[in-house]
Amino acid sequence: MSLKTIPVGRDVLAGARLEAAELRTEWTRKGILAVNLMSSPGAGKTSLLEATARHWKGRHRMAVLVGDLATDRDARRLAPLTAVVQLTTGGACHLELPLVRRGLDQLGALDCEFLFIENVGNLVCPASHDLAEHLRVIVLSTTEGDDKPGKYPKAFRTSQVLVVSKVDLLPYVPFSIDAAISDARLIQPALQTVAVSAQDGTGIAEWCALLETIRTELLTTRHAPVHARS
Amino acid sequence: MHESSLVRSLLGQVETIRIEQNGLAVDEVRIEIGPLSGVEPLLVHSAFSELAPACGMIGARLVIDDVPLSARCSQCGLVEVTLARISCPACGSQDVRIGSGDEVRLQSVTIRQAHERETTK
Repeated sequence: MSLKTIPVGRDVLAGARLEAAELRTEWTRKGILAVNLMSSPGAGKTSLLEATARHWKGRHRMAVLVGDLATDRDARRLAPLTAVVQLTTGGACHLELPLVRRGLDQLGALDCEFLFIENVGNLVCPASHDLAEHLRVIVLSTTEGDDKPGKYPKAFRTSQVLVVSKVDLLPYVPFSIDAAISDARLIQPALQTVAVSAQDGTGIAEWCALLETIRTELLTTRHAPVHARS
Repeated sequence: MHESSLVRSLLGQVETIRIEQNGLAVDEVRIEIGPLSGVEPLLVHSAFSELAPACGMIGARLVIDDVPLSARCSQCGLVEVTLARISCPACGSQDVRIGSGDEVRLQSVTIRQAHERETTK
């Protein structure tokens, strides 16, 4: 009997990353901007999507995959407004690509410009899983505390957009938008930010315009299908 | 990060290597955990000791090497940042490029094999 050491030097998640990258390319080719929406439970992801769907009604097509541990409550909320499929994780604390694929199958033909993947409410595990999104958006509500970014660095570091939600509650809570944003930017200096209230509509037009701009950029930059093929 | 699902994936890859190499058993698995991977080494060890025997890898050891955070400040060139604050501690610039630290890498697998003569075709 002898020992033999085989050098490997490979990222353990390389296979999953590659699979996500391929799906992302496919979505780019179809002109779809995929958005992974992350937050703590109750930060207002579903409310934000309801407001988004209302704002875009008749102008832009969207679809939603919404993840929860149990129930189809979020899907039922969104169903009158947008194409939606509920993903139930059966207890798992985050979404992974196989679940997303199953949801896509249920969604049928993906006839949309924006695909939202509403992750399970959790600022830890979802940060480690690439769901093939182009854009990772973190929603932080004014009721949570403006010191949160530093406590959950990975979720903020891997996001490109920070949405501060429930700004209609600012008069009643000790939350500083500036403090939250500057704390988040210590971790992710390039973070784009928008402050919204899904209840009174503050910032919803700005949020939607930001997504429209990012989608246009995606489709005209080197990641666009034309360039990818040439 | 879900350490147990990571370890399951790791064990699958290790088992593939053992089979490819005609190994009789796995002696040692060596991985590197980056400080920004969100993976806690202690939890990886406990997941490994629980899952490896269940995958038939009895007696396999897991060795975890720490990887220093590699980053470079584009303003002053200093190569040191802290975990929660990706900004340069020397000049305060936030234009810091992270070079490594995000990955969990399978570095090597040590297998037990029959003597060279028996395995060489």
